[in-house]
Amino acid sequence: MSGGCCGCVAALKPRYKRLVDNIFPANPQDGLVKNNMEKLTFYALSSRPEKLDRIGQYLEQKLTADINRHRFEFVFIAMEALDQLLVSCHAHSLNLFVESYLKMVQKLLECQEPDLQITATNSFVKFSNIEEDAPSYHRRYDFFVSKFSSMCHSGEQFGKEMKQKIRGAGLRGIQGVVRKTISDELQVNIWEQVHMDKIVPSLLFNMQDTKSTGADIESPKDEDDPAHLAEVVFRDLVCRASYGNIRCVLVPILVHLDNHRAWVPTDFAVRVFKIVMYSVQSQYGYLVIQLLLSHLDKHVKDDPQIKTSILTVLFEAVLISAGGSIGPSVLEVFNNLLRHLRISVDNKGKNQAQYSAEVKFQDAIVNTIGEFANNLPDYQKIEIMMFVMGKFPQFADEEIGGHMDQQLQINLLKTLLKATTKYKTVIMSNAFPPEFLHPLLRMSLMEDAGMRITVQDILHTLIDRHGNTKKLKRIELCGNIAVLELSVEKCSRQDILFMKKSGMQFYWHILENLQLESNRVDNLEALYCTMGLLAVEMGGDDIIVDLFRLALDIQGLATGTTLPLTHRCALHAMVAAYLNLISQLVTCQQAFEYVQSVIELRKFRAQHLLPDFAYNRTNRPQSLSELEKSELYPKTDQVKEEWLFEQSLLTTHLASTGLDVSRLGTPFTQKPYSGDNMDPTMSASDIGSINIEMESVDGSPSMARRRYSGVEEITVESLKKMLSEENTEDKEESERRRREVVNTFRTAPFEEIVAKSEAKSNHFHNKLNEILDFVSNTCVKETPVDGMSSEPGDTPFGMQFPDLFVY
Amino acid sequence: MEDYKYLFKVVLIGNAGVGKTCLVSRYTKGFFPPGQMATIGVDFMIKTVEIDGDKVKLQIWDTAGQERFRSITQSYYRSANALILVYDVCSQQSYESLPHWVHEIELYAGTKVLAFLVGNKIDQTDKREIPTHIGKEFAERYEMRFLETSAKEADNVEKLFTSIAYQLTAQARDLELRPEQQGTVITGGSTPIASAPSCCKL
Ligand SMILES: Nc1nc2c(ncn2[C@@H]2O[C@H](COP(=O)(O)OP(=O)(O)O)[C@@H](O)[C@H]2O)c(=O)[nH]1
Ligand SMILES: [Mg+2]
Repeated sequence: MSGGCCGCVAALKPRYKRLVDNIFPANPQDGLVKNNMEKLTFYALSSRPEKLDRIGQYLEQKLTADINRHRFEFVFIAMEALDQLLVSCHAHSLNLFVESYLKMVQKLLECQEPDLQITATNSFVKFSNIEEDAPSYHRRYDFFVSKFSSMCHSGEQFGKEMKQKIRGAGLRGIQGVVRKTISDELQVNIWEQVHMDKIVPSLLFNMQDTKSTGADIESPKDEDDPAHLAEVVFRDLVCRASYGNIRCVLVPILVHLDNHRAWVPTDFAVRVFKIVMYSVQSQYGYLVIQLLLSHLDKHVKDDPQIKTSILTVLFEAVLISAGGSIGPSVLEVFNNLLRHLRISVDNKGKNQAQYSAEVKFQDAIVNTIGEFANNLPDYQKIEIMMFVMGKFPQFADEEIGGHMDQQLQINLLKTLLKATTKYKTVIMSNAFPPEFLHPLLRMSLMEDAGMRITVQDILHTLIDRHGNTKKLKRIELCGNIAVLELSVEKCSRQDILFMKKSGMQFYWHILENLQLESNRVDNLEALYCTMGLLAVEMGGDDIIVDLFRLALDIQGLATGTTLPLTHRCALHAMVAAYLNLISQLVTCQQAFEYVQSVIELRKFRAQHLLPDFAYNRTNRPQSLSELEKSELYPKTDQVKEEWLFEQSLLTTHLASTGLDVSRLGTPFTQKPYSGDNMDPTMSASDIGSINIEMESVDGSPSMARRRYSGVEEITVESLKKMLSEENTEDKEESERRRREVVNTFRTAPFEEIVAKSEAKSNHFHNKLNEILDFVSNTCVKETPVDGMSSEPGDTPFGMQFPDLFVY
Repeated sequence: MEDYKYLFKVVLIGNAGVGKTCLVSRYTKGFFPPGQMATIGVDFMIKTVEIDGDKVKLQIWDTAGQERFRSITQSYYRSANALILVYDVCSQQSYESLPHWVHEIELYAGTKVLAFLVGNKIDQTDKREIPTHIGKEFAERYEMRFLETSAKEADNVEKLFTSIAYQLTAQARDLELRPEQQGTVITGGSTPIASAPSCCKL
């Protein structure tokens, strides 16, 4: 039926059969008879389309016979002829011809001989590049997918070169099928699970199999390297996926990574998903992220290493996905991640290795959440921060006093900080909606000194619009603040309004913060920075006067407090530095000169009240004996009147520049601790004026008043009870403790004292929480955030540490 | 123009070394391969048989038992018309793996797939560890057909595949007779030439 078989029989054959017979040489080594092939092509082109179909059928017959007789040379010749016919005739309708053609390809693929399989695939790849003009009906690509996928895994028994050829053929074959089917609705749906379940693992298997090429660095971009080729095909596949079928590609990826335990180490999974993210149509990027999230859910009980890997992949994906493409369910995403955080924290682990694996996982969550938030538009960032804050039970309105794991709190705070870093504040009121500002400020009073710093850091990133934070981190005296190179812009009306409304909250919390005995130098510096930023960002004429008042209040605190000497010196020094700063910002020469004169006095007589001393970490007294030897610390803790900044003088100077100084005479708060040095200017009317201030904030005076009195009543009683509880202790015992405390302060280093008082305050705070709990349960339903800021005089924080009255 | 009327896909699964590749070779090539290499990934052989005058083409997919091919081998279960789960009657361990494989079938194959449990290597009578009735009971419990074979001695091999071909053909014909059902059957993979649906899958 082939080559040599012509003669008399041929004469009886139809013309097309004779033309086909003639393309085969007598001797198979001679290859396709070129002249005759041209004749056949010309005939096919110039005849009616049916002729081409007949040619196809006839060639198929011959090919089948040759395969059965193992006359493979003729098989190759037939395939070459088919390729040429396909290319030449593609302008015509190829439909039926293609049917026979594909049957031939399948026949070859069914053979065991690798050469036949490769020839068939190569031919098919050529065919897949032909654009058919007419839509064609369902073809058997199902088999092709199965066979090509199988080829992607095989070839190991034939040696390296052959293996590379077979796998390469399989990969290109897959690409061909995808190309052929994807745009044609009449074809099989290549995205169906049956197909993707074969295609995707086949690609990944080769991408993963870097051993196949060894460490062949010289030819990393070798076109025929299966690993490289697989990646190309994979990209091609992913970028063709539309909304409806992106899942179909992604799910098998996840299954494969699970099956092959390919999450750890992370490299491969990250590589795969980077490719996915770079290839996927960008508007679908969020689908990838959602799917990874739900995959994380599936592994919630698994090895933290796997979870960390999935999260790392997620993180990389978020980095790549352009801003805003995370999708509508942002809160869901965050909720999900925070839930994992919580579970992980609860999961304390059996051993050290497991524990540190969980901690790594938690860090990964924090990073990922931060990265998520960074990719969101700014208004959503605030939403996210509020949401994260809602996860602190003690700051969520409903559950005051709820206990929460320390580790979790730290993680949540870190998350918050991450989320704020890329927020670009334009208008303060947008950055600090009350629902956000109130709980944030409440958090600024947390027990843990380290966490309080983080809260201040959050405030810095949000308040600072001009990159001044770094310049204000150090508490120092600048004779000329020009050296700080602060970037100052005139503050907008909106911001002034914001400060009028919310300034009091900032001030009150700053004052509360400054009284905490657990403060370290870092805490004070962070608070100073916040005050500095407030001045730089919003120090308009009205506001700057408030800030002078704030400084005076701090001075009042420092003189009337029971804080250790080191703390008090630090506060005085802070006031000096702050007044020096804002008197220059307000450009009031007289005020500036007055401030300088006091500073000069201190330089001469009371250096311990200046930043150079009080914030110099190297000269902190290690013990009382050292303190006594120090020339700089006074033998008594008396602060002379002339070393202090005087309100009346400041008022006069500021008034001379036309500022409205009426507010300067009234302290913001009643002094939290009423000691001997109680400010004589303080009166009931002052308290009333503060109350009015708060009322105007709320716009509901009656509510505020009621709340105020209600809290006061209960607080006083509760506090009394609490104090009496302390007093039930044996007199002797309390005396002994007193001595111990004094002794401690004599000998212990500063940080140790701080640590002790922290522990003490914890005990107290717990008690207080109980009381607050009680208050909120019995009182009129109210928002505790406001309640807190409207009861400054009775704040419990000022009443603490009766047994640390060292002086 | 096709040289067959029905095409069915048969997939062999089971632990490595139980004799899957030998069974396929014995059936499609007629011999027991001497030094056989472990199967890599998946591979298939073709065998065309005649059932009551109709040519039936069996595409027999042989899978690797190794872990590193898990995702790819699983993907072939789904499109199978029949599954042959093989264990080695001389290996207790291969028998004990059966529940794992049954689980895989439940997860990845169609619910109505025709399933055969096959205990192979019965020629090694002196080494046998799993008595016939044990295998049979297992098969019954999971609603599988049961056969014991020897790829080496060609015992029951022909019978195994022929009966699969026979049953699948009967199913296909049955569906042909009830054309109103054709549209509802999802053709999971079998490529019936005469538009015969691929036997109640998925
Ligand atoms: N005695 C005996 N040995 C067999 C039989 N079938 C397979 N084997 C042997 O079992 C080993 C594994 O066979 P193979 O077909 O590669 O197993 P597979 O991994 O399941 O494909 C080979 O050494 C075969 O020679 C059989 O029926 N009887
Ligand atoms: Mg095998």
